[in-house]
Amino acid sequence: MMVTKRQFNKLLLSAGAICFADLSFGSTRAYGQTRGGTLNAVLQPEPPMLNIAVNQQTPTQTIAGKIFLSLLTYDFDLKPLPSLAKSWSISADGKTYTFKLEQNVKWHDGQPLTADDVVYTVTEFLPVTNPRAKAIFARCESVTAPDPHTVVFKLKQPFAAFLGAFDIATLPVMPKHIYAGTDLQKNPANFKPIGSGPYKFKEWVRGSHIHLVRNEDYFKPGKPYLDAIIYRIVPDGASRAVAIEEGQVQLTQWTDLELFDAQRLAKNPKFVMTTKGYEYFAPIMYLEMNVRSAPLNDKRFRYAISHAIDREFVRDKILYGFGKVATGPISSKTRFYDGNVRKFDYSIAKATALLDEMGLKPDSEGVRARLKLPVAPYGEMPARACEYIRQSLAKIGIAVTLETSDAAGWAQKIANWDYDLNLTWPFQYGDPAIGVTRLYVSSNIHKVLFSNTIGYSNPEVDRLADAAAAEMDEGKRQALYSQMQKILVEDSPIAWLVEMEFPTIYDKRLQNVVTTGIGIHESFDEVYFKG
Amino acid sequence: MKPALLAFLRRPSGVIGLVILVFVVGAALFASAIYPGNPWDTVATPFTPPGTDGLLMGSDSLGRDVAAGVVHGARISLLIGVTSTFMALVVGVLVGAIAGYSGGRTSSLLMGVTELFQSIPAFILAILLVAILTPSVATITFAIAIVSWPQVARLTRGEFLSLKEREYVQAARCLGESPVSLMVRYILPNALSPVVVAGSLSIATAILIESALSFMGLGDPNMMSWGYMVGTARTMIRQAWWMSFFPGLAILLTVLAINLVGESLNDVLNPRISRQ
Amino acid sequence: MTNWSDKTLLSVAMLKPVLARVAKMVGVIIAVAIFNFFLVHAAPGDPALVIAGQAGATDEAYMARVRAAYGLDQPLTTQLTGYLRKVVTLDLGYSYRQQRPVAEVIAERLGPTILLTGTAFIISLVGGIVLGGLAGVRAGKFSDTVITVLSLVVYATPVFWLGIMLVLLFAVQLEWLPPFGYQTVGADLAGWALWLDRGRYLLLPAATLGLLYLAIYARLMRASIIEVSHQDFVKTARAKGAGRSRVLWRHMLRNALLPVVTMAGVQAGTLIGGSVVIETIFAWPGLGRLTYEAVLQRDYQLLLGIFLVMSIVVAIFNLVTDLLYRVVDPRIRSV
Repeated sequence: MMVTKRQFNKLLLSAGAICFADLSFGSTRAYGQTRGGTLNAVLQPEPPMLNIAVNQQTPTQTIAGKIFLSLLTYDFDLKPLPSLAKSWSISADGKTYTFKLEQNVKWHDGQPLTADDVVYTVTEFLPVTNPRAKAIFARCESVTAPDPHTVVFKLKQPFAAFLGAFDIATLPVMPKHIYAGTDLQKNPANFKPIGSGPYKFKEWVRGSHIHLVRNEDYFKPGKPYLDAIIYRIVPDGASRAVAIEEGQVQLTQWTDLELFDAQRLAKNPKFVMTTKGYEYFAPIMYLEMNVRSAPLNDKRFRYAISHAIDREFVRDKILYGFGKVATGPISSKTRFYDGNVRKFDYSIAKATALLDEMGLKPDSEGVRARLKLPVAPYGEMPARACEYIRQSLAKIGIAVTLETSDAAGWAQKIANWDYDLNLTWPFQYGDPAIGVTRLYVSSNIHKVLFSNTIGYSNPEVDRLADAAAAEMDEGKRQALYSQMQKILVEDSPIAWLVEMEFPTIYDKRLQNVVTTGIGIHESFDEVYFKG
Repeated sequence: MKPALLAFLRRPSGVIGLVILVFVVGAALFASAIYPGNPWDTVATPFTPPGTDGLLMGSDSLGRDVAAGVVHGARISLLIGVTSTFMALVVGVLVGAIAGYSGGRTSSLLMGVTELFQSIPAFILAILLVAILTPSVATITFAIAIVSWPQVARLTRGEFLSLKEREYVQAARCLGESPVSLMVRYILPNALSPVVVAGSLSIATAILIESALSFMGLGDPNMMSWGYMVGTARTMIRQAWWMSFFPGLAILLTVLAINLVGESLNDVLNPRISRQ
Repeated sequence: MTNWSDKTLLSVAMLKPVLARVAKMVGVIIAVAIFNFFLVHAAPGDPALVIAGQAGATDEAYMARVRAAYGLDQPLTTQLTGYLRKVVTLDLGYSYRQQRPVAEVIAERLGPTILLTGTAFIISLVGGIVLGGLAGVRAGKFSDTVITVLSLVVYATPVFWLGIMLVLLFAVQLEWLPPFGYQTVGADLAGWALWLDRGRYLLLPAATLGLLYLAIYARLMRASIIEVSHQDFVKTARAKGAGRSRVLWRHMLRNALLPVVTMAGVQAGTLIGGSVVIETIFAWPGLGRLTYEAVLQRDYQLLLGIFLVMSIVVAIFNLVTDLLYRVVDPRIRSV
């Protein structure tokens, strides 16, 4: 239940004298916070389990962020911040990373957390359960614990993005004494997690709510401030909007609210709306084109598609203003962005001219080409976007057939390269070497999701991506990525549409909700209700 | 048939239903003339309320004309309703006729299959079929037919069971008519009127199932249909009630009209046979 | 049913057909299990891809491991025989999406669904009989016209549309009832307070679901009452000078109920089907919503389990109405 009136009055009393504390500086504030209160938040959809090391879905991450700890977290500019690691150093050759862990960290069952747990997680747990983390840590020659509070990662080759891989989704530290020697996928602790974070698991009533309570033994004294967090599972979009309006929940994130509802609620003085806190993910909504066959293998055809889509319409009418028109493969909200690339203005005339130049003549029905577009089964917004793309391309004589299916059917089509166009928005994970180049390099053309399924191949892009990943100097890295972006936009295997933004909406009494680049996936050990 | 027609026209509810139905069918037939152009195209500012800018029913979230959608949607709702019912009638009558006429093993086998289909909640079976076959007009029609035929089969079997014992059928049998001829020429015409009534009512059910499937996101994404319109509008109901109100009303009126006509038909055609 | 001998006679006469019915039910359920198995496996999607996709990135070795872990790499016939063998021992398999035994997942959701559909069933049956009976007795009068027109309109209304409209009216505008949910989270209620709380949440979804069937039963009841009132035995009873209410209750009602009860049995399946839509709109944590999620996730084992359990529930509904029929129908009782 939400904070009742009586509880709330109590909060008011105890906080009365220190209202001005709100004027001080974000998360570094040392006093003025109020203990107590229960936060109710929306969770959507219901996660299959609560262990982020095994299941990588966004809602799992939201919950697990409160229960588990990672070595680092990242600020809005994606610079590393301490979390479980209080300090770290990198050797001059860029191959050795040494982390010093916090002392006195205990698992929720009372056992001490040591460097051994970190080594276990990296070397034995994640390789089995998380392919993305496996690929990153496979770059390590060794991971060792010279003492209980020190972890050393030795890399085979320098990897510039390595320090970006210590967030809660990539390396959540797992309790070795619970998991060692068990079936990791089926361990009961995946449902009643034992972590080391500021909140402990209390109860999960499936289809209804997940109840977390304050960890009294959290390593940061006096924290967290909240007594409990209850995540309410509300499967219907309209119901979620009612829930926050009626005060049954005080926090929504990502696309919990339909974006037009978010737009409306943002104007309500009862709530605060922010689009910060998604920098680590920074997805770009784009239309990718399977470049293997005609006419999509012709650059001019792809240019025509890029010219035929009004990106501002997509941003304003489909994303309700939550976003920024994209110019290329790297989001301007993350690092190494360069906007100095070929531009595609909205122009039906230019698009038709390109198709004419190719010699693609309209047939008796006015159709120059027919393409298939499987609709990603992730709700209303992608469906609207696909409908809009179909109508837009119809204007230049490209007939698009939409295909709807369930998540599995869609995934199958994309993974098997059985599509012409596909609208999607993969996460960028803070660094191009982790989240962006995987979609373009020819070494990653696989029949699996989130690889280079469009079949794009350019040796120069491959070379630049490799060089940039190994380059430790930020300035030189930027130069390499700038050049890569230029070439990619010149080839346009993808029409990059909008850098997406997501609304986090919360009760204005809530403080410190979004303080870093991973936003609401943070531990919430600083969150409190202002009186 | 003339007295029957007169009897029908004497029923006010049937006439009201017929008038509505004429309007709906007219909209379906002349959709392209009433609203030329593609109902998916953006023609106005999004969320324009009804009655402004010359939009009778307002515009939706992408600025598409709701009235154009409603008129064009009549096509798909009727198409799916009529086609799926026709398929259900063909299969249902065939199974029911054979089961009812032959009796014994064949009958219990066919009725077993029928019962099997009736044991699975119909709407859930339809959801599953459409999801597996990927949503399109053809697969939705097929799925609705699959869940509708068992009722027709049961009804037909019942009719055949009682009709085959009648004197005139026995007489024809004695004259050496073949079983097929008996079924088609002697029993079927007399069993047809309750089946026709059940069929007309089942068009209404089919339209409701189609709208519910579209509402759940399992409609044909390339066809403008009423269920799709309500489904996409439902989350926006507080911003733009007209987006779901008018297509919802269209479903309601069409289904109501078909039911009114079907019932009046029933009263006229089968005055002594109780409704199923 | 007032004296002992009548009662024992009743139970003996009922036992045999009930047993036959149960045997038939088991056969149907097994057939449903096999049918569902092939249907579900005809689906083109690969569940391993979904799991892998949810892991944020994928590699072939990981997917092979997932397939092996959930038996997805075995031939269909092996999967079928394995499945049937397990079903007999009430082991419904393991859900890869939920990472838990299917039986456990379903058991959790079964209660709310039975509560919802059961309440809706009672609302529709009682409401339909009362309103339809009223309309039938007062045929041609104003109240009859109102009930008839209303039931016609409700019958033609898409249930999801009705649900949204009711939420708008009762939860958003009037604020009488909660818009969605199962019970107040974190209120830690017990006993009567808990059920009272739950009742408030139950009212809107159950009423929405029940209203449609209420309309059907009301129409049927009205027609049935009118028809019965024209039959000879009622005319005879009237002519004999029996009191008005006595005629109504002893003779008409019992006979008029028969088609309604039959229909109610037939409609049990659709009632449960309707719960898919209702549970989604009202965030009701039941089997209907689980079904939809399982379809979208291609959770084969879970889907099979749900179908089986739902078929059993439908069969039980049918059995209950069958028994009801026997209680109501004087002819069957005397057999």
